[in-house]
Amino acid sequence: MRRFLASTMLLFLGLIAQAEDRVSWEITPRVTAPGQPFRLQIIVESDIVLGGAQQVDKEIRPPRGLALRLSGQIVRSDSNEATLNFSGVAPDQEGEYVIPGFNLRFARKIIPVTPITLIVRKSAAYRRTAQARAELVLPDRTFYVGELIRGAIHLRGGDDEAVVASFGLESVAEGFTFAVTADRQPLPTELGQGMRTSFDLTPIREGTSELSLRGTMLIQNMDSTAFGNGNRDRPFTFRRKLSVEHVPERGRPADWTGAIGTFTAEAVQVSKDRPEVGEPIRLRAILTGTGNLDRLIPPEVPSNEFWDVLPATERRRHAEEQRFFVYTLVPRLPGKLLTPALRFSTFNPLTKQFSRIEFKPVEVTVTGNAPAQVDLVTADPSAPVGAKPKAATGLAAPAPQRGSAHFRGVPAWSLASSGAFWSSNALLLTALLSLTAVALSLGYLAAHPEIRRRRRARSIVRTALSTTESARRRGDRPAFALAAVHALQVGVAALLDTEEAAMTQGDLERVLPGVSRPLLDGLFGQAYGERFAAEAGATGSPNEEETLALLRRLLSLL
Amino acid sequence: MKSFACLLLCWMASLGAAEDRVVSAAETAYAKGDYATAVEQWSEEARRDGVSAGLLSALGNAEWRLGRKGRAMVCWERALLLDPRDPVALAGIRHALAAGGTERPAPTWAETYASFLTEDTWLILATTFFWVATLCVVIPRLRRRSASEWNHRTRVGMLTLLALCIPGLWGGRSLSARAVVRKTEVSLRLTPTLFGEPLNGVAEGDVVRTDRPLNGHVRVTTADGKAGWLRTGEIEVIRGATLPADLDQKAAP
Repeated sequence: MRRFLASTMLLFLGLIAQAEDRVSWEITPRVTAPGQPFRLQIIVESDIVLGGAQQVDKEIRPPRGLALRLSGQIVRSDSNEATLNFSGVAPDQEGEYVIPGFNLRFARKIIPVTPITLIVRKSAAYRRTAQARAELVLPDRTFYVGELIRGAIHLRGGDDEAVVASFGLESVAEGFTFAVTADRQPLPTELGQGMRTSFDLTPIREGTSELSLRGTMLIQNMDSTAFGNGNRDRPFTFRRKLSVEHVPERGRPADWTGAIGTFTAEAVQVSKDRPEVGEPIRLRAILTGTGNLDRLIPPEVPSNEFWDVLPATERRRHAEEQRFFVYTLVPRLPGKLLTPALRFSTFNPLTKQFSRIEFKPVEVTVTGNAPAQVDLVTADPSAPVGAKPKAATGLAAPAPQRGSAHFRGVPAWSLASSGAFWSSNALLLTALLSLTAVALSLGYLAAHPEIRRRRRARSIVRTALSTTESARRRGDRPAFALAAVHALQVGVAALLDTEEAAMTQGDLERVLPGVSRPLLDGLFGQAYGERFAAEAGATGSPNEEETLALLRRLLSLL
Repeated sequence: MKSFACLLLCWMASLGAAEDRVVSAAETAYAKGDYATAVEQWSEEARRDGVSAGLLSALGNAEWRLGRKGRAMVCWERALLLDPRDPVALAGIRHALAAGGTERPAPTWAETYASFLTEDTWLILATTFFWVATLCVVIPRLRRRSASEWNHRTRVGMLTLLALCIPGLWGGRSLSARAVVRKTEVSLRLTPTLFGEPLNGVAEGDVVRTDRPLNGHVRVTTADGKAGWLRTGEIEVIRGATLPADLDQKAAP
């Protein structure tokens, strides 16, 4: 009996030992670098045939920042072993990440898996640019309710891997509206090989919300052989906390209607620049920029004295980041008119400032004739019944009786264009200047009598020169000497500012140094000798040429 | 002296009578919106009694109401020649520029300065100051006496005032050298010829600066600085006889 019990116990223990499931896992590489792809392989050995695994992805809960996806399983129908392969990408932060325990549900049995630890170390050798990777492009700032946020996921190929496809993009964004705007578009050239998925986010409530995005990209090894395609998938996941606020009320303009972004008033176009009075034309204002263009309310443009403004349908070109505001204008008056101004306020989330957008009016030449009366009547609900409406116009009330009737008349010509005015002024001025000049001249001459004396002396000397010349030709020596002596006396007297009759030979020598004494004796003797002695006049005859030279010398001194 | 006193009394009495005048039929018509009648009656009054700044500016308002921008601008500008501070004319021009689509060259600082007085007033003042200063210089010389201190002060004062008049004269000259476009569809031409190449459109009521005439054209500069030629009949100079010219009336054979 004892033997039987012992053998039964051994058999039972053996059965128990045989029934224990063995689960092992392996991460390759064992220690990963931040952002490095890795492979997780789980091997299950059981005592029974397991069958295929079901919904493995549903139960596994990878930690935050770690992307993990079941990439394949090897299960034989007649075997009690199963191999499950997972592909994953390590988080960007260093540390030890534990994948909580989960159950592997096979067709015939549920196998529990113990927690799996992934070690992420920066010291691990990994060349990030060699592998294909996913990047989230999203501004890192505070967002505003109603704002349009443009984001993108860049799936960038590496040196050794190329991204050939992507699929399964899932998003969880509480407090946001999420919309993919362009999927699987090629990356810009400067970013290398890969593809891009663009999306729009719009916050709908204030506070902190989390945006979670995950998906899978299909990658291909560059060095794949001709006998294998070398394709495999790689998951990516992003979780980002976003802070959302309302647009500040402080400093918010009254005409701000929810425009958030950076906008530019591009151009204003009219369908016809020379319409007739009453002919409708289309005014199209083009707004460009980045922001919630599709949420903008077209600015109100009231009718005025010159334009009837009617609402019109408008459309938007999304790809070109443009928005059209379209109005129908009907001119009321002929002439060169300016289209009504369009203006509204916007909020710039980058500078956190309000700014004003204004479209410049366009000049339109309106042809045709004006109606008899054009008045824009402003309705005032509080006005008494029967009161005459007031015309909204910039004209002042006319006052034709203002001013005296005694001062009527527009001069047909200005005084400045009057020839009589200028000629009479010029005449008066000339007369005055002439009079002044004469008075000044006379005054100067009165103050300087030597001027007159010298002038007279010059005249006398010139006359004496001609007289002596004629006397010499006649051979009249006394006349020659008399004229020469008189001229010498007058000239010397003018230079010495004395009386001419008092001039002696000594005075002449003082004024004309170096003069010949015998010449003077001869001249004076011949000129005045007869006054004192009859024969005195005949004594000696002066050199006539020297005398004339002396007179010319004196003339040059005057 | 008695006759002078009688004339003065008569003048004062007529001024008092003018103050007591009743509202004219033209004003009534204007108030009722019958602008054509108002224009007709005010024009008749201007032809009969001559124009004043108030009458011209009122006429400008009525012309504007009828959509005749060119005539309105001529009336307002001529009203400003008579009274540079006429409020109705100033408001009309401001309204035409702001809401009417007309263009007027921006006044230079000299023109703004000159607009305090009329051009003729500036000239009369400048001439007076000039002659007083000149006489202050000349008379002591003619009398061969040294100038007194009073003479020196007067001389400096007159020369200062004359210097202050010079910008007014300059501004008044450029203000007078302007014209109003009277035709609705006019193009600025490159050359003063019949088929000159059109450069830019100008509209009725636009004020342009005028330059030299040539071959039946006048060289003008628009408010935005574009220069070209316009036909003489397409513009009307601001300094005119009385009322705006009637361009629709054909000339007598």
